Amino acid sequence: MTAIALRPPGVVMRLQRLGAAHPTRLSFLRQLIRRAAREKWRVRKHLFDLNDNGFGRAVYAVETPAKTYSLVAFSTPLDDEKRSDRVIAQAWDTSYVLYDGLPDVADIDRLEANAPLQEAGRYTRSELVLARANKSVRLFEDVATALAQGQQPDEEQLLGVGYLLRTTAVYGNGKFGIADRDEIAARPELAGSFQAEMLTVWLIRSFTLDLVDHIARRRNPAGAARLAPDLRRALGVGNATGLGMAPFLVRHPLLTHSWFLARETALARVRAEPHAGAAERDAFSNALADLRRRIARWHSDDSRQAAATRILAADLGALAENLDQLLAKPRPWDALYRFAEDLFSLEGQEACVSLILEPHGALIDDLGDTMKADETPGHTIEGGMGCALLRRALLESYSWARAIDFAEPAANARFWYVSAEKLEPRLGERFEEDGAELEQPLATARDALGLAAALAQEPSSATVADFLLRRPEWRHAVRRAQIVAKFPYAEIHDNLIGAELRPVDILRAKLAFFGARSFDPRSDRWLRIALFSGEPLIEDVATAPSGEAT
Amino acid sequence: MIDLSLNEVETLSAKAARGVGFSWGLAEDVGRAARRIAVEADTWGQAMLSLAEHAQSFEPPSPARAARWRSGETDAATGGPLCPIRTAALLLDEPLPSNVMPLTILDVGLPVWLHAMLRRSAMRVARPAGLATRADVVIESRAETEQSDTGRRGAIDERTLAALNSFAARTYVPESERSRLRGAGGGRVDDE
Repeated sequence: MTAIALRPPGVVMRLQRLGAAHPTRLSFLRQLIRRAAREKWRVRKHLFDLNDNGFGRAVYAVETPAKTYSLVAFSTPLDDEKRSDRVIAQAWDTSYVLYDGLPDVADIDRLEANAPLQEAGRYTRSELVLARANKSVRLFEDVATALAQGQQPDEEQLLGVGYLLRTTAVYGNGKFGIADRDEIAARPELAGSFQAEMLTVWLIRSFTLDLVDHIARRRNPAGAARLAPDLRRALGVGNATGLGMAPFLVRHPLLTHSWFLARETALARVRAEPHAGAAERDAFSNALADLRRRIARWHSDDSRQAAATRILAADLGALAENLDQLLAKPRPWDALYRFAEDLFSLEGQEACVSLILEPHGALIDDLGDTMKADETPGHTIEGGMGCALLRRALLESYSWARAIDFAEPAANARFWYVSAEKLEPRLGERFEEDGAELEQPLATARDALGLAAALAQEPSSATVADFLLRRPEWRHAVRRAQIVAKFPYAEIHDNLIGAELRPVDILRAKLAFFGARSFDPRSDRWLRIALFSGEPLIEDVATAPSGEAT
Repeated sequence: MIDLSLNEVETLSAKAARGVGFSWGLAEDVGRAARRIAVEADTWGQAMLSLAEHAQSFEPPSPARAARWRSGETDAATGGPLCPIRTAALLLDEPLPSNVMPLTILDVGLPVWLHAMLRRSAMRVARPAGLATRADVVIESRAETEQSDTGRRGAIDERTLAALNSFAARTYVPESERSRLRGAGGGRVDDE
């Protein structure tokens, strides 16, 4: 069997394509669900102490083979005018901690004094994740009202939104005193990328569904309905993600490389398959039908996304029409991908990548274990390298950047900075706002070209160590150039400070790796998504022995 | 005392280092070294504050002096104390040949930083130990590099933390009304 070449970084790592990314079976929430099912995790409601209005505390405990983890949830009253998706909000409907073990009463009391404050609270190494979520107010109330009347809510309205609550932050890795990632990185169940965060959101999903059922039952103890199982499974957890997440992919180059390399390797493996078996064809058809149903409900007020979604629907219609003929060809999955590449929009192409991978778990799921990275090897600088050699490697890795003229104001229009108010990354207008002298080192293309120019001035005998002794201001760019030469998917092949930059493209790529769907850009720099919609509930795959079941 | 995660130690230290003028690349190195100090001792906050306060008085190694180290010649001090970060960065980028070690480097500022920076290399600071302000340092080779520790936290007192936060704050941009509105997008109350 001849191998199929990986799609090169020059194709994969463009912002437009990143902004069309779709979740795949290698996405992190899918990896979590598979592990939970394989290892027969158990979940139980350890505490559910909410008043008639749904305010109070709850603990959901998950037993994995090695450890127990607990979602500690707090639901508190919130004035409508304080309910905001933005990171600058100071109060939320619900707040959460993923606790390492089973918390005792003193732990829960301590967390109740801190978790509702979020960033203004303080946490310990026993807390692995900190999160909060707000209600989709109108929908939540409509669902509670319908259930209290003994009826199921309107399905179209419910699935059009897709979730009852929306997280506005999910913090991990040592933020505000919680446990460092290093402390859990050696635990198999949490070793993969964002597994602790995904577990938290999975549990939050069940809490939101139990919360609405609880409120309905308290309103009408005798006659309330419970949300129907198929509706529960269709709902996910919403999420609003802003600029703060955008620099992550730039700041974690080895990790970024590992994610994209795994996905591209998976695609190449499937494309190299000589035939499509009956089971794979069926699974593909089911995945295609499921995606088309989801797309029919994929709503966004963003005209650009709405247009892209319409074209995607047409693309997938064309795919469905041509499916039998494509799958009859030799190397059918390759034929299908090339058909998409020739005829479809970027949305359509990336949706096809996801669909092609779906039936092939046995062939590609092992790649999930490779989607993590310790960034430490990237810290070392090979100082013995000659400046001329580094310059050649740099110009090769960044050949795409040479077309950008940074003397043009439009190419240099933006700067990334950290806001004094929220300590979060922001994007400023270089020629209109103050603060560009405090720019963060995220101008990858500009700095790479600047470094190449500086290296060109060096004598032929100069080593990188000599150069950096005299020019320490290039240290970050040298480090990055040496990383990108070895890890080609580490770099986004576009200008991250240009006037045309749409940070939502970066956000979407990262969120697709999480497993997000229903991308709904609210501007060029924040968007809403849904996680876990249509996926199994944690209690479906992890149900405690009878008597303890939730 | 406040108990910081090691990630907080690293992030705060890197920002403070940048705030006092280290380049971005060196500030990253300082952050990681601070984490290593925190793993070993509760003095990381004091070490970081001393570095921030003294950074401007340190000198980088001159190319001529670096050449002497590399060729095994006796070191000659050049005036002000050597910057431990710039010195360590040079040694990490191009490690000393083993035949010139042990090597005495004269008058290094805050050698605890040289020690922490070299923890991930085949070199180590044989002496002195502790929080000396400036000292002659002996560097020797060692066979194995140490692995990062886990299970530690970065304890720090409130005054030192406040001082480090003020150095870190030099890297922040104050919000204007315009940037507040545009910076992260959004800005509407959720009513759905």
